[in-house]
Amino acid sequence: MSATTVTAALRRSQLYRRHIDLGGHFEQVAESTLVSHYRSIEEERAQVKTLALVDLSALPRIGFKGLGAPDWAAAQGMTLPAQPNRATLQDDGTLIARLSQTELLIASNLSGASTHSAVAVSAVADTTLAERVYSLPRADSHSWLVLCGDLAAETLAKVCGVDLRPHKFANGEVAQTSIAKINGVLIRNDYGDTLAYSIFSDSSSVEFLWDSLLDAMAEFNGAPVGVQALRDC
Amino acid sequence: MKLLTCPLNGPRNISEFTYGGEYHPTPDHQLVTPREWAEHVFFHDNAAGVVIEWWCHTASSYWFLAERNTISDQVIRTFPADEIFNQRVEFNQPASSGESN
Repeated sequence: MSATTVTAALRRSQLYRRHIDLGGHFEQVAESTLVSHYRSIEEERAQVKTLALVDLSALPRIGFKGLGAPDWAAAQGMTLPAQPNRATLQDDGTLIARLSQTELLIASNLSGASTHSAVAVSAVADTTLAERVYSLPRADSHSWLVLCGDLAAETLAKVCGVDLRPHKFANGEVAQTSIAKINGVLIRNDYGDTLAYSIFSDSSSVEFLWDSLLDAMAEFNGAPVGVQALRDC
Repeated sequence: MKLLTCPLNGPRNISEFTYGGEYHPTPDHQLVTPREWAEHVFFHDNAAGVVIEWWCHTASSYWFLAERNTISDQVIRTFPADEIFNQRVEFNQPASSGESN
């Protein structure tokens, strides 16, 4: 099997230079390349349990805003959280966060084959959206990092003012806040029984955020891992 | 650090917020004189006492209103803008108007 290069597909992460420097092995998912793993899968599976950082920026995601957005999304078969700053996992693993009463963020599952995000993305491309529904193309504007493992909350406490400890910040809660001085949307979305926080932030400053998080993780022996270890959770 | 309570996101460090100026009720643009409109857009009262101000929670780009005492810097309450802005305002030309001032 020949190795997939980072340029094998149309889309790659904004962090691809970091991944190459770290010796990442890439895989192709739909139109994107993302890091499958850096080290052996066994090592990375163990790493995910303690403290790991994963870059999912190459996976699909999109947002919608407007008074008509919640009804439109419900009509597409999406299950929405009842109140703002909550996220709901759909049956196919798609993550849907309600950022305000009338704003949604839809992020793909780890296989990149999320029905809900595909429906949402194609709705923008192919048809006229319903009245009072406006699309927010998040895939280019926002990066997507996942900080996971038992020590993730301790790490975030160093860079974020919101109390994100698991007993205070439940699975599915959303905090729109400053993380290492970078504004972002932080969603607690555990993978299996592994504590995990998805961070969506401005893609133009994601190299700074990536470096800052790795720096904060260093004292806990945290390390970056590929998407495969997260899928195995 | 000072805390401010965002109506959407709850209490947050003041560094997450941006000040957006005084709130003034918007006059009816069909009836108002250009002078009064200019004063509404550009002038500020800079009052000492309890005022209503625009604030933005930068991390979520959420604009809201805050009642604040400018003498003591005490924030009395914060509330969503739709408490005041609860219907759509159309800026159509009045049927009779055509001249410019």
